[in-house]
Amino acid sequence: MFNQAGALGGGGATVNPMKDFEVVSPPDDSVSSLAFSPATIPQNFLVAGSWDCNVRCWEVEQSGKTVPKSMQTMAGPVLDVCWSDDGTKVFMAACDKMAKCWDLGSNQCIQVAAHDAPIKTCHWIKGSNYSCLMTGSWDKTLKFWDTRSPKPLMTINLPERCYCADVDYPMAVVGTAGRGLIVYQLEGTPHEYKRIESPLKYQHRCLAIFRDKKKVPTGYALGSVEGRVAIQYVNPANPKDNFTFKCHRSNGASSGFQDIYAVNDIAFHPIHGTLATVGSDGTFSFWDKDARTKLKPSEPMEQAITRCCFNHNGQIFAYAVSYDWAKGHEFYNPMKKNHIFLRSCYDELKPRNPS
Amino acid sequence: MGRKKKKQSRPWCWYCNREFDDEKILIQHQKAKHFKCHICHKKLYTGPGLSIHCMQVHKEAIDKVPNSLPNRSNIEIEIYGMEGIPPNDAKEHERQRNGGRPGSPSSGEDEPAPKKSKPEGLLGSAPGAVPTGSSMMTGVMPGLSAHHGMPPHMGQFPPHMHQMMGPMGPVGPPFMGPGMMQGMPGMPPGMQPPVSGASMPSRPLFPSVVSTATSSTPGSLPLGADFKPITSIAGGSIGPMKPTFPAYGGGDNAASLQSNSTNDQKVSLIATTGAASKIIHPQEDLSLEEIRARLPKYQRRQTEDTRPTQAETSQHVAALQHQHQQQQQQHQQQQHQQHQHQQHVAAAASAAAAYQDQQQRQQAALSALQQQQQRFQRPPQTVMVPASAAMPVSSVALMAPLMRPTMTLAAPALIHGGNMMRPPPMGLPPGKCPMTLSPGPLPPCRRPFSIFQSPCQPWPHPSERRESRETELKIQ
Repeated sequence: MFNQAGALGGGGATVNPMKDFEVVSPPDDSVSSLAFSPATIPQNFLVAGSWDCNVRCWEVEQSGKTVPKSMQTMAGPVLDVCWSDDGTKVFMAACDKMAKCWDLGSNQCIQVAAHDAPIKTCHWIKGSNYSCLMTGSWDKTLKFWDTRSPKPLMTINLPERCYCADVDYPMAVVGTAGRGLIVYQLEGTPHEYKRIESPLKYQHRCLAIFRDKKKVPTGYALGSVEGRVAIQYVNPANPKDNFTFKCHRSNGASSGFQDIYAVNDIAFHPIHGTLATVGSDGTFSFWDKDARTKLKPSEPMEQAITRCCFNHNGQIFAYAVSYDWAKGHEFYNPMKKNHIFLRSCYDELKPRNPS
Repeated sequence: MGRKKKKQSRPWCWYCNREFDDEKILIQHQKAKHFKCHICHKKLYTGPGLSIHCMQVHKEAIDKVPNSLPNRSNIEIEIYGMEGIPPNDAKEHERQRNGGRPGSPSSGEDEPAPKKSKPEGLLGSAPGAVPTGSSMMTGVMPGLSAHHGMPPHMGQFPPHMHQMMGPMGPVGPPFMGPGMMQGMPGMPPGMQPPVSGASMPSRPLFPSVVSTATSSTPGSLPLGADFKPITSIAGGSIGPMKPTFPAYGGGDNAASLQSNSTNDQKVSLIATTGAASKIIHPQEDLSLEEIRARLPKYQRRQTEDTRPTQAETSQHVAALQHQHQQQQQQHQQQQHQQHQHQQHVAAAASAAAAYQDQQQRQQAALSALQQQQQRFQRPPQTVMVPASAAMPVSSVALMAPLMRPTMTLAAPALIHGGNMMRPPPMGLPPGKCPMTLSPGPLPPCRRPFSIFQSPCQPWPHPSERRESRETELKIQ
């Protein structure tokens, strides 16, 4: 796709160690969410939500050039964004306890969801018999909205605050505080399918559903603050199919002492089924979960990588470099620039043994 | 730290403090990690064995056991599995296991300690031993008053933290080990700060928690007793879980406290420090976003915005009666929510937030905020101009397929590229709005989603007011 060594990839080695394309006019505060437009639109649009309360939209051209298109402001820091399946709308969830729908055609925004606490996740569900927005909040509920009514279609109580979620119809998985993990079946009406004892010993932080060879959602990867990712099948054929692996840890330097960083985000490649993790250590890694190998590590960035995503055809890997608060407010430097980088990734994510 | 909550005496590796389920595995571990020749990768059986091998075969001297902790790198000591561990170290390890298990982290009790040391006054005044629900409340009160008294430095961002952070990095590991545990029980409160400070770098301070914790720490000598109350208190006050409203919910608080004390596993702290590793994460078991969101900087904006919301809501009363209620509820809940947040932070922080809340109502804060907003939005605007101007028309076709045939109209919008990033003035017809991606008439844009046709928006638009305000600001 675009030429990796392009002139755009310039900049200091530390700022952009992987020599990737940088998105112009990045957010003014940490990037909290990233999403590429779905396959229903031919172009690639990238939206990013930020702690500066704004959601920005860029078009990403084949050349790797980015063009800012528009921006919307929420009343609180944005925590998540997602696209509608038809690519006409972007949903934005924020600390103001609202989720809004941004109609890109008219550039209008309306509120479509409300919670009693900040909304941590939003996902568009495109079901066979319904479409709705799923929001997960720190008010310990999961709500489903048809976007026309101020009342949710449905509210599901969670055992704890929602920390992470992913949706791939007909499956939804939610990770909560207190290491809760629940799989939902969305077919018909959304209902709990399975509560799962967490395979991880530390706080859940990110979650991504993966599909099997037939492109049916079959399991998920769950990342924790303790530099570890669990690969779990909802119905494992063999208990040994489930496993965890360590990542985003320092190599024990001289003292042999190891720093362990949070896994901030996980994304599966839409074509290859391999995955990327990004961490508080400022690196991303590409993995092949089936071969159980690391495909590629990255050089460390200046700051943490907070989120990542692939575009619909798996050509572009976007990752956001900004402070993630892992070291508390003392290490927050508002003067440090936030970056979103775009990497041509198709080949790097090819599985090790094509099968 | 490896797995927790198993039985006490699991085999552990003297060189790296790691625990194993089985001594066989421990031995394998030692052979692979500590007794492997780095030159030929041969696995030896003991440290001295490795040393001799390297000397004889490779003519190299090895002075340290590979991958060992700094104080455990002695190559002379002959250790095989659990055999040969110096008795002192064995005892120490045992002690550490008993005292602070990872789940209710030894770190847990240390942390509060550092904070207390600073507020001397709090320390002195705080009640003695405080394992009960009431203790929690008392803890809260001092926090509150303290906060009002010394807002800036007592608040969530104590300056001391910076000092602590410095030494933290390198020092971290050694402190984590048994040394710390030994020190704890007998130590006078004055001594604790350095130790705990070293091990707990990044945790925000909550004076109230601190005060209670401190008071109890020095009071009770035995380790177990010592830790329990503290952790339970910490759990209660920091505990993010219970959506109780600290200010009012005396009962709730008590309840949550009890559940915490009965249920020590649920301590809301993360054991971020292990024998040979450190998790780079605040010690509270809250998501980074929750911790970040309670920063006043991020809360202000939303409170500012919700007020207009409510006002607007009331205007729509007739039509949107139930929504109005909802909104009010929301508003209330929001307040509660704030408290809840605060509870996460512990009581003192809640006091702080309440204080902020008041302040936020003041015009001064508002205007400052607006300025901030303005600042936020400007840069993109200016930067944007060239970019969008340069954008090829074809690329604009963003919504073309989905929306209207008038897509080509989007091109003109580009001319106003400079405005692209501005939030849309909601009142303007879209055609006039320079921001719209595609200036076509509204109805067609809405077509794809019938939802958006309903003339009355599901919610009164909270952003309306703010946005128009912002627009003015920007336009000037």
